[in-house]
Amino acid sequence: MSLVAVSATDNLPVPASGDAPVVLPTGAPLPGPVPGRPRRGTSTIGTLLLVTADAMVLGAVVAVYLAIKEGSTTWPPSDVQVGTYIPTMITLTALMSGFSVQWGIFAARRNDGRNAAMALILTLFLGLSMANLEWLSFVRSGFGFNDHTYGTLYDILIGYHLLHLLAAIVVVLVLAFRTMAGHFSTDRHDALRAGAVYWQYTNVVWFIVVTVLFILSRHG
Amino acid sequence: MAMTDTEVEQGGQPEATSLPQSDAALPDAWPKGTDHKYIGSLFVAAALLFLVAGVVLSIVMRAQLATPDADIVGDRTYRQLFTMHGVFSVFLFLLPVWLGLGSAIVPLQIGAARLAFPRLHAMSFWLFLAGAAMVTAAPVASDVFHGWALSDPIPVRLGLPGRGPDLLLLGLVVVCMAAVLVVINIVVTILQLRAPGMTLRRVPVFSWSIMVSGAVLLLALPVLIGAFALLFVDRHYGASLFSGFTGSRGGNPLIWPRLFWFGAYPVLWALVIPALGAVSEIVATFAGRPLFSRDRASAALVGVGVLSFAGWGSEVTNLSRPRPLFILGALAVLAPVALLILNWLATLRLAGKEGDRDALRRGFGSTPMLWALGMLPVLALGLAASVVSALDAGRDAHENYWQVGQQHALFFGAATIGAVAALSFWGPKLWGRRLSDALGKLEILAVVGGTLLTVLGMLLLGVQDMLVHTSTFDSGDEWEIGNLVVSAGAAIVGLGLIVLLLDLLGSVVAGRGKASGADPWGGQTLEWATPSPPPRHNFDALPEIRSGAPLLDLQVGQSRSRQSESDLASDGGTA
Ligand code: HEM
Repeated sequence: MSLVAVSATDNLPVPASGDAPVVLPTGAPLPGPVPGRPRRGTSTIGTLLLVTADAMVLGAVVAVYLAIKEGSTTWPPSDVQVGTYIPTMITLTALMSGFSVQWGIFAARRNDGRNAAMALILTLFLGLSMANLEWLSFVRSGFGFNDHTYGTLYDILIGYHLLHLLAAIVVVLVLAFRTMAGHFSTDRHDALRAGAVYWQYTNVVWFIVVTVLFILSRHG
Repeated sequence: MAMTDTEVEQGGQPEATSLPQSDAALPDAWPKGTDHKYIGSLFVAAALLFLVAGVVLSIVMRAQLATPDADIVGDRTYRQLFTMHGVFSVFLFLLPVWLGLGSAIVPLQIGAARLAFPRLHAMSFWLFLAGAAMVTAAPVASDVFHGWALSDPIPVRLGLPGRGPDLLLLGLVVVCMAAVLVVINIVVTILQLRAPGMTLRRVPVFSWSIMVSGAVLLLALPVLIGAFALLFVDRHYGASLFSGFTGSRGGNPLIWPRLFWFGAYPVLWALVIPALGAVSEIVATFAGRPLFSRDRASAALVGVGVLSFAGWGSEVTNLSRPRPLFILGALAVLAPVALLILNWLATLRLAGKEGDRDALRRGFGSTPMLWALGMLPVLALGLAASVVSALDAGRDAHENYWQVGQQHALFFGAATIGAVAALSFWGPKLWGRRLSDALGKLEILAVVGGTLLTVLGMLLLGVQDMLVHTSTFDSGDEWEIGNLVVSAGAAIVGLGLIVLLLDLLGSVVAGRGKASGADPWGGQTLEWATPSPPPRHNFDALPEIRSGAPLLDLQVGQSRSRQSESDLASDGGTA
């Protein structure tokens, strides 16, 4: 209590009016949240900032890709054939998983643990099938990491998504267990929301990768 | 990708809900290793270690270049010296010193009991230390001689054999990731943990500057992370992203410097912005009044942060096409800094007009204020030199010592002096001991005077077109005087830093300094309303917060408080 009084020092200006200084009430119990208690949504905001930073890493890779593409005479190299079947399937799966993870939150908000858990498990399956398809797109590409710049960037971009996806799968797995253990409820699902933000961001990474590799691909 | 681990950590941490009813008591029960003041102090200590290391390296460089035809170190060693000097100074001194001060001071300024993610904060420090160890091990493993921009010689891949560059690249990736995690922690804390009444607009200027700097780092450091990681891939696999020739199957050597500076230029500004915030706070405190305009100061800081992304053209060569745009961008970022300086001067003038002149005179004599004032000439010189650099965007001045001088004034000199000012201002709060006032004056004289000499000498050498990375010169060259001046300045700065270090060891570590008490300077913000050092949970009670300077309100009473609130609202600040 007296701490604040200690802080009064003598070299501060005296009120011009000459009134005796009126000291504000101090030490009284504070209204509202007490210092140190975070407002709601702290994990979600932290995750949003994290994925913003992460997107800038991807941005650097994409910038290098585009710069090299612009400077090349033929892009992709003439012996490279990349099909669009696998990427299309992954894109559709990503869209579905975006819905299923939101369904999980929707259910958790209504205190419906059963549906929330089901939604998360479905999301996990969709995630695993994406990972499987991505593995296929590595082995079926017909070129290797070291064959040419295109191969390197192709593998880096898809691998960038694959690594994020694997991490997101672990996150959702943990969240699914916590849902089943009844950790989340109408006013307690910040971690779930944070996990969903991360999942959706993983999908955004995929959409960027698809755009860069398969839509803006041709040059020269 | 390693970041996702923290994702789990963040996602899995049920903060709000697991807190018992008495929140204030909670952090006391947590291990000391998660205290933001403790971890912040560790960051500062590590940073000071690397400041010393960096300056020692620069003094060896300057010994070699003090006289013509010297043979103290050969060209190869000289190249290693400036590489490690640059890397140490930027990534292992300036970056962690602000991360440390920021994470230690911000929660105190905004009336919070802790950071948003205390365990993440502890983890970030140890991650940083691991990265710093890798960076330090690099020159031991094998030669690293390509400059801190990792671009000389080009093509990078061919020029960098051995394990050293690998360690350097991976170490920097780890350091930058740790920094991003600290930044996220601090920004979330400011957004989420402010005390009741502490609106965003009332956040103290230093905390504000840390938030702006954090936003810049959050966007710019990842670019460097991506760049370093790609360079690592380039070195080990047949990729040739940054070498080879355009049109072949390889990549393009021009991409590297542009990518690097696109990230590094905002990072350099982000390391100056907290110095500007700290000096703003110090000027207001010792003027005994609010800033001339707090809102404009905050806006200027945001301006620097935003425009810093437009100025990188002033640091690279070989820019051809959009040169005018780069010139404009590099000039624009200087304007808000100039406005901020005017804001400080107006604050001091108003304090002299209305306030107690004796108190103001005492304020001018105190050590943190003298450091802050010492930053002004260095900053002003840096701004002037930067105008020339900006007008020359993409041209020759970036290959000669003009660039070295411009960067050492605007970025390195100003930021370093600002960091020391902040240490002498907030150190007593964190550690309970004041630094010596008598030694302080000596330190300021040496560090500021030496920096000015060094920078002026560098600029002179720039005019005389001495190229960067030159390791020796012939006697009879016109460069003799300039080089002697730079080296003399370096020696003087070195002496000043030795005294500062002894001062820190004696006053703080050995505890011989004057006890600082809760509020040694007549502070205006919340951190001064709790003992020094603060208890584990920071505050037992908080004063009411009605403006950006709650303690000033407390002191001068309700009538004045209402007035300063309306001043804030009208953006005037003159009371
Ligand atoms: C005693 C004070 C200092 C002196 C005498 C000094 C001197 C030098 C010299 C001689 C160079 C090499 C220039 C060249 O050959 O091209 C250099 C480069 C550099 N310095 Fe300093 N410096 C000082 C302080 C600092 C500080 C405090 C920082 C940052 C916080 C810093 C950051 C750098 C950087 C980033 C480079 C570029 C290295 C490179 O080209 O790779 N310096 N400095």
